[in-house]
Amino acid sequence: MTEFNWTPNELQKIVEENSIVLFMKGTPEAPQCGFSNRAASVVSQLGVPFASVNVLSDPRARNALRDWSGFPTMPQLFIGGKLIGGSDIALELFQSGELQTLAANATSND
Amino acid sequence: MIHFIDRLQICWPIIMAMAGADWVGSEIKKLVPGAIVEVSDLHGTGDHFHVRVISDSFDGMLPLERQRPILDFFMPHIKSGVVHALDLKCMTEEQAKAAGNTVFDPHGEGEKQFMGIHIRRPKEK
Repeated sequence: MTEFNWTPNELQKIVEENSIVLFMKGTPEAPQCGFSNRAASVVSQLGVPFASVNVLSDPRARNALRDWSGFPTMPQLFIGGKLIGGSDIALELFQSGELQTLAANATSND
Repeated sequence: MIHFIDRLQICWPIIMAMAGADWVGSEIKKLVPGAIVEVSDLHGTGDHFHVRVISDSFDGMLPLERQRPILDFFMPHIKSGVVHALDLKCMTEEQAKAAGNTVFDPHGEGEKQFMGIHIRRPKEK
């Protein structure tokens, strides 16, 4: 397994190679924070595969991610390579139906 | 130089005391002039906040655009650990009326917190 150092290039590659990426505390199956649980729950409801990255897997992860994305808190949701926001925005856009549209557009080329 | 150090020592406790719901609210009011700002200190510990920011200036803006100036301001305070959680709801007045209670406690009790959508955790060993 190649080493992962949370550089901007490496992070950029993750969100370019995966239509939907959730950076979160823990995993969708075992979230370690209520906000991450909420975001993972929302994204799971979209019914499309998504990538999740556990930021607790490496002590460098959270600061590297913040500096790269400019978004201070976890979780962070990316769709189609673009930062959507945290769990509050994910839920808001899901409730309005916009998240479903964003996900459908991003995954249509998969 | 000595004078500067004196001032620093005096300032420290004031800075520490400022981290709290009042401080969060007053800073956000500066960032979004004219907004109604409601801050809930979720645990009474002065570091987990749910914040409703209500302003018609948000009309027509994407959710992340609405949060951006607030997030940028709190970035260093989140990094330093002064603020641990910042759950933001940036709404227009109409949205606020329709939203009802939006408080969400990430470390709250049990599944009732999860607003109808929930992932089952694997049983703990």
